[in-house]
Amino acid sequence: MEKQTIGIADMKLARTQGTLVTYALGSCIGICLWDPLLKIGALVHIMLPINMEKNRISPFKYADTGIRLTLTKMEQMGAKRSRIVAKIAGGAKMFNVPGNGSLGNIGQRNIASVHQVLRLEGIRLVKEDVGGSAARTLFFDVATGEGTVKIYGNVERKL
Amino acid sequence: MGLNKFEEINSIQIDALREIGSIGTSHAATSLSSLLGSEVRIPLPEVKILEFNKAVEELGGFETISAGIISLLSGQINGMMLALFELEVINLLLDHMMGKTVKDYSELTEIESSAIIEVGNILISTFVNALSNLTGVKITPSVPQIAIDMQGAMITVPMAAYGNQSDYIMLLGGTFLVDNKEIPCKLLLAPDVKSLNYLLYRLGIGE
Repeated sequence: MEKQTIGIADMKLARTQGTLVTYALGSCIGICLWDPLLKIGALVHIMLPINMEKNRISPFKYADTGIRLTLTKMEQMGAKRSRIVAKIAGGAKMFNVPGNGSLGNIGQRNIASVHQVLRLEGIRLVKEDVGGSAARTLFFDVATGEGTVKIYGNVERKL
Repeated sequence: MGLNKFEEINSIQIDALREIGSIGTSHAATSLSSLLGSEVRIPLPEVKILEFNKAVEELGGFETISAGIISLLSGQINGMMLALFELEVINLLLDHMMGKTVKDYSELTEIESSAIIEVGNILISTFVNALSNLTGVKITPSVPQIAIDMQGAMITVPMAAYGNQSDYIMLLGGTFLVDNKEIPCKLLLAPDVKSLNYLLYRLGIGE
């Protein structure tokens, strides 16, 4: 079965079968979007909450433009927005840096932004594995819609 | 005017940064040398402007487990320094300082973790002091924090902090040679774009 790797600020789609994987999510978030009827799945790896770039050359770096563009691409393949569900993982705080500066809460801001964008786009969030202080590798099986989260020194968790 | 993005840097500026990096890392190597009682050298350090994913791969891959020690820089420069130690380095350090080694990161006790943080702290502060003396720029490093995890997630910390206007990150650092053996210990300086401009200006090569 085909496995596709999604880098930072990247997105890939698969249809019917295949595994989408993104490695070492820290404060970044991996968003799995899935149309269960057509088995169209996508995985986006976002790094920041909101796109404020002037020329928007990296839409997948940001939660807002990343999710929206992915939904559009899924719809172009025939997916229906009303059927699409989401699962997300990431948003950790890797270092216990003192103070509550922009660095300390990037993970939390990413989680909040992903939640908000999904809500605005009418996408149901069915499961999440977010926050904490550990990095996550996320596997997403497009045939079943099942996610797996791998954490260093821990058993794998179903998503 | 200055740079808007890391990728706009020119080769003269890269050479100057490499020179600063060279002095900073050689000071750090000297501290490490006196701590370990071994000869520590650092070959010519590298200055690289890399796309996010390339930067992680260059540093040893996303899922490689490392101990990362991070310190935030403030003052006239904002940025971060990150020291990455793999298990081999940790054992080398523990063996020299405490006469013991561990098979896995999970065996590290609190005292041993503190010792590792302290080594990271020494490397980072020596580097920062050298940088500060050389350029006359005031830099205050924060109390360092440690994480033991996939290094991809730790390297994305400075990327996320400065990733708003660029898909590239500047890494300045090098790999240490202890008794001529290459050890996977990396010291990285990641400034924000504004601080990089200020640094270049102080060096007389800003735009």
